[in-house]
Amino acid sequence: MKKIAIVIMCVALIAGFHGMAAAKTLKIGTLSPLTGPYAQDGTDIKQGVLTAVKVFGKLPGFDKVEVLPGDSACDGGKATMAANKLINSGVQVVVGAYCSSATEPAQIPLMDAKIIMITPASTNERLTQKGYKYFFRMPPRDDVQAWSTVQFLEKKLKAKTLALIDDKQTYTAGLTANITKFAKKDNMIKIVAHEFITPGDSDFTAVLTKLKRLNPDAIYMGVYQPEGSKMIRQARKLDMKSTFISEDAVYHPKFLEVGGKAAEGVYLTFAKAPDSPERRAFEKTYKKMWNAKSIGSYAYYAYDAGMMTLAAIKKAGTADPDQLEKTIRENTWPGITGKIKFDSKGDRKLAHIIWVVKNNKFVPYWNPITGKDL
Amino acid sequence: MTSTGFILQQLVNALFLGSIYALIALGYTMVYGIIELINFAHGELFTAGAFIGLIVLSALQSVGWVDSHFILTMVIVFAMAMAYVAVLGVALEHVAYRPLRDASRLAAILSALGMSIFLSNGMMLSQGVSDRAYPSIFGAEGITVMGAKITNGQIFIILLAVALMVALQLFVHRTRLGKAMRATAQNRTMSRMLGINIDQTIRITFIIGPALGAAAGVMVGLYYGAVRFDMGFIFMIKAFAAAILGGIGSIPGAMIGGLIIGGVEVLWAAFLPSAWKDVTTFTLLILVLYFKPSGLWGQGDVEVRV
Amino acid sequence: MIRQEIKKLAVYSVFLAILILPMVGFRTTHFEAGRAFKVLGLFIAILVANFVAKVVRSRRGEDQLQKVSLGDRISLRFAEIPKIYTLGLLVAVAAVFPLLADNYMIDVGITCLIYVTLGLGLNIVVGLCGLLDLGYIAFYAVGAYTYALLNLRFGVSFWAALPAGVLMGMFLGCVIGYPTLKMRGDYLAIVTMGFGEIIRLVLNNWDKLTAGPNGLFGMQKPTLYYPGFHDGGLHLSVYSIKTLPALYYMILIIALLTLVGIRRLNDSRIGRAWVAVREDETAAELSGVPTTWLKLLAYALGAGFAAVAGAFFAAKLSYVNPNFFIFMESCIVLCIVVLGGSGSIPGVIVAGFILIAVPEIFRELQNYRMLAFGAIMAIMMVLKPDGLIPARRRRVQMAERRQLAGESNE
Repeated sequence: MKKIAIVIMCVALIAGFHGMAAAKTLKIGTLSPLTGPYAQDGTDIKQGVLTAVKVFGKLPGFDKVEVLPGDSACDGGKATMAANKLINSGVQVVVGAYCSSATEPAQIPLMDAKIIMITPASTNERLTQKGYKYFFRMPPRDDVQAWSTVQFLEKKLKAKTLALIDDKQTYTAGLTANITKFAKKDNMIKIVAHEFITPGDSDFTAVLTKLKRLNPDAIYMGVYQPEGSKMIRQARKLDMKSTFISEDAVYHPKFLEVGGKAAEGVYLTFAKAPDSPERRAFEKTYKKMWNAKSIGSYAYYAYDAGMMTLAAIKKAGTADPDQLEKTIRENTWPGITGKIKFDSKGDRKLAHIIWVVKNNKFVPYWNPITGKDL
Repeated sequence: MTSTGFILQQLVNALFLGSIYALIALGYTMVYGIIELINFAHGELFTAGAFIGLIVLSALQSVGWVDSHFILTMVIVFAMAMAYVAVLGVALEHVAYRPLRDASRLAAILSALGMSIFLSNGMMLSQGVSDRAYPSIFGAEGITVMGAKITNGQIFIILLAVALMVALQLFVHRTRLGKAMRATAQNRTMSRMLGINIDQTIRITFIIGPALGAAAGVMVGLYYGAVRFDMGFIFMIKAFAAAILGGIGSIPGAMIGGLIIGGVEVLWAAFLPSAWKDVTTFTLLILVLYFKPSGLWGQGDVEVRV
Repeated sequence: MIRQEIKKLAVYSVFLAILILPMVGFRTTHFEAGRAFKVLGLFIAILVANFVAKVVRSRRGEDQLQKVSLGDRISLRFAEIPKIYTLGLLVAVAAVFPLLADNYMIDVGITCLIYVTLGLGLNIVVGLCGLLDLGYIAFYAVGAYTYALLNLRFGVSFWAALPAGVLMGMFLGCVIGYPTLKMRGDYLAIVTMGFGEIIRLVLNNWDKLTAGPNGLFGMQKPTLYYPGFHDGGLHLSVYSIKTLPALYYMILIIALLTLVGIRRLNDSRIGRAWVAVREDETAAELSGVPTTWLKLLAYALGAGFAAVAGAFFAAKLSYVNPNFFIFMESCIVLCIVVLGGSGSIPGVIVAGFILIAVPEIFRELQNYRMLAFGAIMAIMMVLKPDGLIPARRRRVQMAERRQLAGESNE
């Protein structure tokens, strides 16, 4: 037993020390779930950053840019361990994490170590409300998305009644809570029901039948893609008349693949993505680099986070956290998810637009800020 | 939607979900009845069945058989999935459970848990982490009775599930092998003395149980439209609850247990706050076991058997 | 003998091929033979190695094989060294560890110690009393949430909240213990599993109290008061246990106290009575052992230790979320207990480190890590069903059994 213990310790020591490497290497850590049910999105994030490093090419002042993938496993304890590991390896910037419930505990050691943290996925409002100087967020917050949804329901759909479904996870519960808040404030839409499902379930007919009887004008699916695609299929089989609207966690190629014909006519909120040569170039490079047929939405944010970091370091001429933070905050950066400009809290002014599924494709439909069709 | 229609519709939903739970629960109950082991890997066998069904069905669809020979396609898909998973089940028993037959219960349970993690991660590595879409075979067409709609796919699946259960019941009660199985479940030592080949009986259990699970897997894929490497977990918990509720080791118990668990889940969500449906299912289970410690159809004290 | 082994090897290889080949190789679109064969090759290598080892051992003679197995040899050698030295050495290594290690390793060390504490607690229920518990993580959650809520809502300090958390955990331990008193064996598995899920779902659904899936954030770290001279007089100074090394020492002390407590319990009348319940409940009851009371006590004490670990976890992370307490976590703690050897304290410690630290080292391997984890768990159980370091009582029993078998062979 003693021998085993010694061997374990030696291996641990080696594993710990191998992080040290030659100077003049810029180290970017990623923090995303590489194992478990969200591994797909987590891998997208890792690959997005790696793509950015490759596309950016040589960074002046550094011999090499290295990406160290950390596995947050969508779990608080594992995320802090992974964060501490990245800190030890001497990363200057961390792109991550994915689940808000992993980002929140991982913030503490990273902020203490003065490491710039850019989340490509976590949208819980609380993350940017703690006054952390080095924390930035690429996607719009939950309340921005909820606001867009409510605007669409009120102004475009002119819905009078709404039913909410969510799966009681941090992200989805945050969205439905915000929708309830905005709808109550405007007092134009009556929320007739708020139903819950279990993540991982396959059968939602009980809840859907319940809503079919209430027959609300619109039904909001606050779920992730796996549940969303199954839910819409079952809703169509039950001949439900209500309009279905959902959010960006459902905006995924798999929703079209699994949903098929049933997905037609579903509205979704998703960040506005202006079509640009850079975006197309990214898509081409990414697909080639990773032999991928489709690109998950978080890869775009991760790519932007990576590109912006590298550009900011180039501009600042250093990876010193204070100067880098200042450079990032004071400038406006180009990005494939729109222009990147952070406010004092580290949030972007990024709006969602409404998309619709048409002929098995996501098509831009309506802009909640201008109130115009797209 | 009228109230009758609503209630009827919810009953249809409950019946459908319940039959799938029942089919999976049978695998648990049979294995438990014979070797008194909670086969934690059963959920993964179910998922493996769904994947094999998907592979075969995609292949057959690409040659256009789904439209031209529907019945034959279904027979091939189900047969292939069930056959493969049956082999997998036997292999599992051989590798992970047989060496532990005389060891402590905990060791066997842990071995089963280990195999469950192994298979689930194996499927994740081979089939990917995200959903895989099943070819759409059944559309939204169906029969509407008094406002309640039952789709053709649901009818097909429920009928198939019932047929499988009837076949199992006949097998267990009408054949020599079935008799041997029942005898082994009652008293293994005595059965061996009477000349029953215990190894063979156990192997047959590990053919039938997983095969039924695989059939359920294909059904889930066909009806819900997508399968994923970790979908076995939730079905496993519910089916396990169903098997225990009905009295583990009892085949009719597992069927009725499945219907009860499916029914409670659907009807609670239909009439009461849906957030608490799983809490209710588990609470009901605990209450039933408190008042009837060996389940509804359990055969008294299981533990006394050596 | 050799022919038999070769036959066995062939059978196992074919079975493994069936088991693994399609699982790893097939995809609906393409067939990745290379990967499948790599994994298959690995397994066949393990089988061949096992085969060679068996042949070598059989050459050395049968009775030698029967007398001392590797595990026994190790434990016998271990037993020769005076216990106080080994213990002292281990504690010393554990105590200097933070001075040598970096933050990440300390963090892994903390996690290991949390799981060791949990394993020791569950060891009472599973190892000593023989009650299968698949929902143990619920008590960990209860400890964590009790501290989080008391601290956030009422500003209660860690040390004041700790007993409350323990009491809460013990109370719930009795609540789950009570209905299961009549049940035996595997029915317990589903009831405890259901109970674990109920607790997690209640934490997730009761938004008003627990903030639901948002989780609770911002709990204070534990503080210590110590007298010191400043401002020209004797004052109580506050030291906040905030850094990772400080937290490491705290959980080390918690784990050691748990260890001492459980050792004392193990050797007491209660410990022996628990083992009696485990071995034969009816006989124990007839011998005048109050089985009902003892089972409840086992649940309550096990839950209490888990609650301590939970409160520490909440304080360390400053964040709790119902998602942290899923069924898989209960399984991992159970694995620690059974893999280490049911009822064996050193076994739990070793298994805790192996199950938590080793996968952490291999995190780079990502998904293959869990694949191997599952396979190793099954293989370990097949090879050593009594765990890595079987409890002393079990060892004695095994030796007796072997003696009996030897006698009857003659």
